Amino acid sequence: MSEVIRIEKLTKTYGKKRGVTELDLHVNEKEIYGFIGPNGAGKSTTIRSILGFLNYDSGRIEVFGKDSIKEHTGILREIGYMPSEALFYPAMKVSEVIKFAADVRGLDCRKEADMLCERLKLDTGKRIKELSLGNRKKVSIVCAMQHKPRLFIFDEPSSGLDPLMQNTFFTLIKEYVDAGATCFLSTHVLSEVSRYCDRAAVMREGRLIKEDSVENLITSSAKNIKITMNGKSEEYIYNGDINKLIRELAEKKLDNLYIEEPSLEDMFMHFYDGEKA
Amino acid sequence: MTAVFKHELKLNLKSLLIWALSVGGMGFACILLYTSMEGEMAEMADTFSNMGAFSDAFGMSTLSIATLSGFFATEVGTVHGLGSAMFAAIMATVLLSKEEEAHTGEFLYSLPLSRGKTVLAKGLSLLAELVIFTAICGALYVLGFVMLKEDIPFKETGIFLIRMLLMNVEIASLALIISACSAKNRIGLGLGMALVFYAYDLIGRVVPDMKDYLFFGPFSIANASEIFSGKEMPVPALITTAVIITISLIAAYLSYIKKDLAS
Repeated sequence: MSEVIRIEKLTKTYGKKRGVTELDLHVNEKEIYGFIGPNGAGKSTTIRSILGFLNYDSGRIEVFGKDSIKEHTGILREIGYMPSEALFYPAMKVSEVIKFAADVRGLDCRKEADMLCERLKLDTGKRIKELSLGNRKKVSIVCAMQHKPRLFIFDEPSSGLDPLMQNTFFTLIKEYVDAGATCFLSTHVLSEVSRYCDRAAVMREGRLIKEDSVENLITSSAKNIKITMNGKSEEYIYNGDINKLIRELAEKKLDNLYIEEPSLEDMFMHFYDGEKA
Repeated sequence: MTAVFKHELKLNLKSLLIWALSVGGMGFACILLYTSMEGEMAEMADTFSNMGAFSDAFGMSTLSIATLSGFFATEVGTVHGLGSAMFAAIMATVLLSKEEEAHTGEFLYSLPLSRGKTVLAKGLSLLAELVIFTAICGALYVLGFVMLKEDIPFKETGIFLIRMLLMNVEIASLALIISACSAKNRIGLGLGMALVFYAYDLIGRVVPDMKDYLFFGPFSIANASEIFSGKEMPVPALITTAVIITISLIAAYLSYIKKDLAS
């Protein structure tokens, strides 16, 4: 399976502030890759470096085997990007924004754009300033998808979309991925990752702390332990030798014990709270 | 690139028309006022031409405001000079920074066009706006002359408008540096810069010791009184203008293509 995005030792600082540090990751063709982390973890910095908005300090980014700096414009031709804020020119009509995006690409995307607008129930006659965040997101989706790119980059795509539209959006992604596209999406909605992504990376304080298939992230050796002792309950993720855990638990006088597979949410909290502690 | 050029023109069309019709309209009104003030002007012309440095500063020592050409040069020259400089400064100051301030840059710069080409397209659209602005104002001034049934000084008016356009390009080039370096719209700074240049030119013409340094200011190439009184072309000032425009555009371009875009 060929790599669509390859990031090696990416480091970006903003003066004295950290952006990302020594980040290595790769995204394979035809996969939906989740990029997880709380605000300030370095997700947007990574995305903005891929897109050439930022000049990174060191490292290398390749998209479709092309250097992200030297072949910046060629790379953007293959990308459909949806920013988290979805802001456009307020006085323009939706149809004008969509046409403008197609015109800059030098493409006639009317057929695909019409299909997308219909499925997303987007009124193209309205002006941008009249739209809610959700509807602006829809415009952003159309602009990102109408030229049928080989790579989608979405920065927190589902925020502002109602559950029905979220479903339509992810169905569209699935369809494009089935047709050969690749999707890289940053989010802090873990249910989206567990439901739609093939692989995921967890970012913390500018560093990649875990990268694996979503299946492996959830069904790793880590267990969610819930114990009740002396009327008090305690819950934690255990990621060590299971025999040692049993020995330790045997020494305690437990009222109750649950050992469960952790959810992605539990794993995420474990990466953040557990490892920090 | 053409799409960005057209897009930028379309976005600024309203502002362009408002400014052009306001400045051109004021000039047009000034021209029409001439007939009603002609008699009084004849009486005041002598007084105005004998006010020493102030007469020099406003060109009234070389041109009589009792004539339509003189009146046009002193009155419309000031209105157009200030108005067009403010327009050029405002439009150029926000040309690049508005994308970051309004967070539309994430959309624009994710489209497959290099940042350099985007800057070029935007710069060319600004140049087109300045040309259209000058053309609209020029048409209104000519209309004023026609309505007064006076001979139109085509040559002088043409030179005046072309030099004003060049001055506007210089101010816009300098304001573009502000736009390229800032993630916020600094309209006040751009506008202030244009007014400082106007004040510099005015003071330079009043204070004899400063006359030798006038050519540094953008307004020095477009003094209407000098143009309408047939003075020679200010070659050092024109060379300075060309150098400043070139350096400013290169500086703005380089700083913008290298900067991190604000999210």
